[in-house]
Amino acid sequence: MATLELRKLTKKFGDFTAVSEMDLQVADGEMIALLGGSGCGKTTTLRMIAGFTEPYSGSILVDGQDVSKIPPYRRNIGIFFQNYALFPHMTVFENVAFGLKMQKLSKAEIREKVEDILRLVKLPGMDNRYPREISGGQQQRVALARALVTRPNILLLDEPLSNLDAKLRVEMQVEIKHIQKEVGITTIIVTHDHEEAVSLADRVIVMNEGKTLQMGTPREVFDHPNSAFVADFMGFSTFIDGILGAPEENGLRPVLCGGVTLHVLESAAEGLETGAACTLAIRSENMELVDGPGTDVAAGTVRTSTYKGHRTRLEVENCFPGMVFPEVNGYMETTGGKQVFVRFPADRICIYKKQ
Amino acid sequence: MRERRVNWVCTLTAVLVMLFLLAPLLVIILASFTPTPLVTFPPQGFSLKWYANVFSASNNFISGLGNSLKIGILATALDVILGVLAALSVCRYNFWGKNILLNYFTSPMYVPSVAFAFVLLQVYSQIGGIPGPVRIFIGHFIIILPYIVRNTVSVLHVFNWTLEDAASSLGANPAKVFFQITIPIAKPGILAGALLAFLYSFDEVALSSLLSTPKFITLPIRIMNYMELTFDPTLAAISTLLILGSLVLIVLMEKFIGLDMFVK
Repeated sequence: MATLELRKLTKKFGDFTAVSEMDLQVADGEMIALLGGSGCGKTTTLRMIAGFTEPYSGSILVDGQDVSKIPPYRRNIGIFFQNYALFPHMTVFENVAFGLKMQKLSKAEIREKVEDILRLVKLPGMDNRYPREISGGQQQRVALARALVTRPNILLLDEPLSNLDAKLRVEMQVEIKHIQKEVGITTIIVTHDHEEAVSLADRVIVMNEGKTLQMGTPREVFDHPNSAFVADFMGFSTFIDGILGAPEENGLRPVLCGGVTLHVLESAAEGLETGAACTLAIRSENMELVDGPGTDVAAGTVRTSTYKGHRTRLEVENCFPGMVFPEVNGYMETTGGKQVFVRFPADRICIYKKQ
Repeated sequence: MRERRVNWVCTLTAVLVMLFLLAPLLVIILASFTPTPLVTFPPQGFSLKWYANVFSASNNFISGLGNSLKIGILATALDVILGVLAALSVCRYNFWGKNILLNYFTSPMYVPSVAFAFVLLQVYSQIGGIPGPVRIFIGHFIIILPYIVRNTVSVLHVFNWTLEDAASSLGANPAKVFFQITIPIAKPGILAGALLAFLYSFDEVALSSLLSTPKFITLPIRIMNYMELTFDPTLAAISTLLILGSLVLIVLMEKFIGLDMFVK
C-alpha cells in the first residue's frame, strides 16, 4: 500500500510530446482513472509508472521515494494488461504463482497465497488449465489475480474491460471495484470509456494530447465538464451556439440561440461576459419532450429515431443550426418530419466560451 | 454433417503418391538382406553379411558417422545460440535496415554451396594448416545458420512482447524473463530450426567433399567414396540403418515434443 506522486512527468518520442508536465497526487488506497482517446498519453503515463519506458523529465514518487530510475522488476507494481498477457506455456496456477516464485517464497506459502487470491477472484479449481482453455472472462480474472497476488504497492489497470461483452463488463466493473476496496490498493486505471472511469474511480483525470484537461470526482467531471472538449468526451451529445445575456433576478441567465432563448444557471456561466459568444452542452437524457411551446422549449422536426431497447433516441433538426439529440424513455412512435417540442432544463446545461 | 463421398480419382492418386514415396525405401530395405554381391530384386535368400560389413572398422563407416554427428551436433548447438540471438535482435527492436540484416543472416541459404565451398577453400589455403575437422565445421556452422534464424524469427514474429513486460513487472530480472518466458515460448521454432539445421549438416555432401581431408571424412562422403569403388548391398544396409535411425528420432520427438509443432 502506498501513495503515488507524479511531478512534471514528461515523455517525448522525438519531436512528439506524449505526456506533458503531468502532476498528480494519489492517496493511499485511492483509485484514479486516466480517461482519454487513443494517443492522449494515458497509456504512456502508465508505462512510465510501471518502469517500461523512461521519462524524458520529471519524477515518479512512490511513498515519497523517487522510483524513476528503478527497473520495473524492482518496483513492486502490479499490472493488468489490456490483452491480459497471460503466459501461454504456464497453467493458471503457474501464471499466478510466477510473481511469488520470483520472490522466492516456499512452495507451501505460494500454494496458500495462490489459492486465496483465486478464491477472491472467484476462480477456484482452475489451477491446471492453460490460458487457452478458459474463457475470456476467466482469463481476465487470472490476470487480475496474478497482478494482485504479490501484494504490489500500486495496481495499474490498462483498459481492463475493453475486451469483454456488455454483460460481463458490468459484472467485472463491480468485481474490480469490490476487489480493489477489499485489498485497499492504490490503483490507476486507464480507459477510453467515460462510464467505466466514472463508475470505478474515486477521481477521474481527463487527458488529451498529453495534457490534463480536468481532474475531479466522477460527479464533477460527469456533470460539470470544464470545457466543451471534455463535455464531448464525457458523452454530452448536443451542442448549441448562442449569445449570453445579462443575469436575471431568478438566478438564471438567458442565452439567445438563434430565435430561441434558453437559460442557464448563473453559477454555470460564472466568469463569462454578457454578450459573449458561447457554446451550450447538454446530455441526451436531460432533454425533455413537451406538448407545446413554453420557456426553454424549442420546436423542431424529427429526422430519424432509433429505438435502443429501453430508450428512443431522436435526431431533431430545425431548432438550431445544429442537430439536437434528445432521448426519451421507452419506445416512441415517430415519423420523419413530425414536429416536436424539446425542453432544455436550465440546471442541466453546461456553458462554455465559444472556441 | 458433410456428405462423405469417395472420389476414386483422388483416392487413386493418393495411393500412387504414397507408393512412390515408399517403394524406393522398401526396395532398399529388401536389397540390404540379399546374399549376392549384386543387388537383385526380388532377393534370393537372406543374409546379414552386408550389415557386418557396415560395422567393420576397415570400412570407416562408423568413424564417418561419429565425425558427422560431432560436426552436426556442435555446429547446431553453437548456431542455436548465435541464431536465437540474431533472431531476437531483429524481432525485438525496430531499427532502420532490420530486414536487410535478417536477409544478411540468412544469406548462406541463397549461395550455392559449391561456390561457398570454393571461397572457403581459397581462404583455407591462404591461411594454411587448418585441421580437417575445423575445415568442415566452419563450413557447416555457416551454412546451417539460416535454418535456425528463419525458424526462430517465424515464432518471434508473432511473439507477444507484452509477456516480457508482464514478467518483469512481476519481479523477474532480464535473465529470468529470457529463460523462463521468451525461450520457452519460442522453443518450438528454435527446435524445429535446430532439427532442420542438424539434418542439413548430417546430409551435406557438396561442401564437405570439397573441404574434407583424407583423415577426416563425414558419413555421406564416406558413402560416396565407397560407391565409387564398390557397388554392393553394403550401401543398402547402411541406408536401412539410417532410415531406422530417422524413425527412432521421429518417434522420440513425437513422444517428447510433439510433431504437430513442426507442421504449424
